[in-house]
Amino acid sequence: MALSEADLVAAGAGRDAVPRRTKVIRPVAFSVRDLWAGLIGLSAYTDLLVVLSAHRLKIRYKQSMLGIAWAVIQPVALMLIYTLVFSVFSRVKTPGVSYAVFAYAALLPWTFFSTSLTNATNGLVSHAQLVTKVYFPREILPISYIVAALVDLLIASLVMTGLMVYYHVALTPQALWLIPVTLVMACFTTACALIFSAMQVRVRDIGMAMPLVLQLWLFASPVVYPLRQVPERLRDYYVLNPMVGIIENFRAALLGSPLDRHSLVISTVLSVVLLPVSYLYFKRVEATVADVI
Amino acid sequence: MSSDLTFSNVSKRYIVRHEVDDDATKHPWIRKLNALRKRKDEFWALRDVSFAVERGETVGIIGHNGAGKSTVLKLLANITAPTTGEIVINGRLSALIEVGSGFHPELTGRENIFLNGAILGMGRREIASKLDSIAEFAGVRAFLDVPVKRFSSGMYVRLGFSIASHLDPDILLLDEVLAVGDAAFQEKCLQRIEGLRRAGTTIVFISHDLAAVERICDRVILMRRGEVAATGKPRDIISLYQQQIEPSRINTMKTAVEDDRAVIQSLAFLTPSGLRPSVFHTGDPLLARIDYVAHHEIKDAVFEIFVRTGDLTEMCQLTTETSGSTINLPVGAGTLEFHCDELSLQPGMYHANVCVKERVASEAINWQYHAATLRVDPGRITRGQFYQSNRWKLLRAAHSGPSAPNGAAEVERAPNARRPSLTPTS
Repeated sequence: MALSEADLVAAGAGRDAVPRRTKVIRPVAFSVRDLWAGLIGLSAYTDLLVVLSAHRLKIRYKQSMLGIAWAVIQPVALMLIYTLVFSVFSRVKTPGVSYAVFAYAALLPWTFFSTSLTNATNGLVSHAQLVTKVYFPREILPISYIVAALVDLLIASLVMTGLMVYYHVALTPQALWLIPVTLVMACFTTACALIFSAMQVRVRDIGMAMPLVLQLWLFASPVVYPLRQVPERLRDYYVLNPMVGIIENFRAALLGSPLDRHSLVISTVLSVVLLPVSYLYFKRVEATVADVI
Repeated sequence: MSSDLTFSNVSKRYIVRHEVDDDATKHPWIRKLNALRKRKDEFWALRDVSFAVERGETVGIIGHNGAGKSTVLKLLANITAPTTGEIVINGRLSALIEVGSGFHPELTGRENIFLNGAILGMGRREIASKLDSIAEFAGVRAFLDVPVKRFSSGMYVRLGFSIASHLDPDILLLDEVLAVGDAAFQEKCLQRIEGLRRAGTTIVFISHDLAAVERICDRVILMRRGEVAATGKPRDIISLYQQQIEPSRINTMKTAVEDDRAVIQSLAFLTPSGLRPSVFHTGDPLLARIDYVAHHEIKDAVFEIFVRTGDLTEMCQLTTETSGSTINLPVGAGTLEFHCDELSLQPGMYHANVCVKERVASEAINWQYHAATLRVDPGRITRGQFYQSNRWKLLRAAHSGPSAPNGAAEVERAPNARRPSLTPTS
């Protein structure tokens, strides 16, 4: 046996010295107190989040020849296509900066968002085996995909540095805005991932619709065109899409162009409100997810 | 003594959705439309269940399939929430519901240890410090950097159990863990569980292996149709459970084939000396006794006993058909005995069906289903499907010559020599 009897007895003796945590399991309820309880429960599993996120990266690149380069290939390929379409075939005005840099700066946050959602939506369903056998806070499953996508974002940013050097775009102190903008983006992505992955358990149509939804969402966000090109009378509605404020300001922070504070405030407020609501919804679904999945 | 687990008036309802309307005469579109509003049925897996488990206690939960055992475990493990009632858990709880369920085939053994350990609630540091010990116990130290998809199923199971058994929980939930692996590995698991138990871990153990339940549990809860039917000492509750599945008199069982020429009145499993123990062990001698009454004279009769597991897999058959001799039954009552030198069955609960027929006829004269229950506990430890009785002989190498004294040692196992029993716990 791996552990000797003495070890076990010692462990048993030491056990009562540490105060035990008491857990009460009750029927599903919908209260703000659950939010707090959920976060406490989650904090005990941070190591699982780290291990699982690393696992996502490892798995993705096992038995693939290009490996981690795939984190770069996707945004770069999209950048090349969009440059061809929107700057050679038709002309989208991007004053002061080459279209390739302009597009890539927005494709970084967009690729993060779309990869996260595509993977996280299936996060619960693809782990049905685990979900019906072991308890851990289930939100870790979708969130681990977001953490992995964040690492991909960092890797893909290296190409951005190369592009900026090539096109002589200097990094300004405004780049510090990348931190709060990325934070807002992570909040919003997490909120969407929690909602979609929980809905996907009951209604598998969500996963089917996701590629289409993301395609529409891409063109409803200022990725291939600047926010300024959206007609003035539509803009009030247009900025209600939280990805507008996130992408426009991510690009502005990176390229040193003026920030659009109005849309950033809207994105921030929406994300901050949506995140706890989505978490409560997720926790409510979680309680009986093993019965349905 | 404080309670580590408390179940207070817990009920659990499942909604069962049926696919209705498979009437092929209807238009497929109409059927699709009807399928949208599926019929819902309620199913109460648990009804108003209350019990408590004290600190350091090992409690077994037994019952038929569908009695609610697994639901209790899922609720305790927090995998699903109760419909009504309240569950209080006092301490760090780990559930071992299916060994190796969190493994990823592409990852190496080492990576899977970290992943699985984290899923079960261990921290990275804790896993790192136990890594060697986990690999050692599972016997996969040399394969730590091989993807687990290249592991044999035995290695897979051993690694899974090894990780789980290195958790240091206050409360451990075990569900049919011992249903995996061979007898030797099951024995290793049981020893590990006994070690945890001596260390003061509170254990809830759900199993069909009544022998294991009796061996490690302080108290047993018998569940029946989602309710607690009885609670008490393992021996009492297990025999109560056995009485439920063992008919006290054979004629209470339904007879499939009615033919008044002969009736089997009872089937009993006995020791060679005629005693009727409640338990046999693998390797024990066994005597199966059939009492019958023949109302007509029957020429060239054949008696058969079929031994089946709980899920109706046929394990073996005892028959007089191929014995070469002829049995002619005169009118009147009689007894037929099968003598088995060594029981080959692995531990488990078995049912026996018995029949009498004429060799020439295809229909049996009399069939008795579930005529007797045979409970087999671990005896001869053996891997594989069944115990193969054997003798062995050691032969000297050829050059030592045939004249050497004791050149060949022949050893025959004493019929009742069994592995030493484990030390009872205080």
